[in-house]
Amino acid sequence: MSKVQHDRTHHAKKATGKGDPQCFKGEAGPAKFKVGDRVRIRDLPDIFYTRCQVYTRGASATVSAVVYESPAAEDEAWDNTDKPEWFYSLVFRQKDLWPNYPDLFANDTLETELSERWLEKA
Amino acid sequence: MAKKHTEDEHGHRPPAPMVDEISDFEVLEMAVRELAIEKGLFSADDHRRWTEYVHTLGPLPAARLVAKAWVNPAYKKMAVTDGVKASLEVGVDWINDMPTHFGTPSDYCNLRVLEDTPKLKHVVVCTLCSCYPRPILGQSPEWYRTPNYRRRLVRWPRQVLAEFGLQLPPDVEIRVADSNQKTRYIVLPVRPAGTEGWTEEQLAEIVTRDCLIGVAVPKPGVKANAKRPVHPAVHPVHHDH
Repeated sequence: MSKVQHDRTHHAKKATGKGDPQCFKGEAGPAKFKVGDRVRIRDLPDIFYTRCQVYTRGASATVSAVVYESPAAEDEAWDNTDKPEWFYSLVFRQKDLWPNYPDLFANDTLETELSERWLEKA
Repeated sequence: MAKKHTEDEHGHRPPAPMVDEISDFEVLEMAVRELAIEKGLFSADDHRRWTEYVHTLGPLPAARLVAKAWVNPAYKKMAVTDGVKASLEVGVDWINDMPTHFGTPSDYCNLRVLEDTPKLKHVVVCTLCSCYPRPILGQSPEWYRTPNYRRRLVRWPRQVLAEFGLQLPPDVEIRVADSNQKTRYIVLPVRPAGTEGWTEEQLAEIVTRDCLIGVAVPKPGVKANAKRPVHPAVHPVHHDH
């Protein structure tokens, strides 16, 4: 990363003709979780930038899909694309996110994605 | 004092701005854009071409995708498993389309089509900013970008949907899709009753932008989005040029 002249077009060069996140395919190694796994969202420190919404932290969810490989947003925000990781689509019960969500609507859910660093086995 | 949005001296009405207040973010965008042009990252002409391209986009391809999926089960299966591939058949190439040929950091190339069932209703939001599947849906509506919609939909989805006129029974699971990473979502609603024997073109007409975001469901005869209330700006901009 400590180049004298940082190449600000390296992302465009890498993604042309492949797309983003497709251009990071095969760079993250084996995925730690699989579809159906129960995971808990870690409450990591997030200095400066994060895409891990506070409302998900500490809550448990089910992996609904292993979606793609990409640098985590927290790294990519600083143009650090050296270590892509797996992203997972996660389904939360609304009751698990908002303790006073009405019982009448206990079926309601929310789906969002997070990168592997944010997840631990529940 | 500047004139309001009325007829000018030539007797025609100038187009109304989408927002009549310039936000801090718009000022920031202009500043960053001008710096990027000065630095040579892109030219003013590149920016003009990009802006013009973006304004040619609209929700029509997504409506056609849904109509096609309703009449063709094999295509529906493909759409649900690979939205980017399914988009090709309605003329949207997420990966190679003009003008950048690689998407942009705000138009990532991962489209997921969320299939509704009679017992499952999807609705899309981005709580982070206002991520939106622009290549296939065009520019997002103003309300989609407001903090009001973004922060309330995840917490009170039923109340917000009711404000759009969509009230669903408790046995229907509402699933909010928060698109704050690299996947963009559109909703594939349930084909409504009363559309038996319709052609793909007829079906596409009732799949409005709001149906594709998930705040409305298609109905025979309804071909437009419901009107949203517009509140006057506290500090309106006067256009005197």
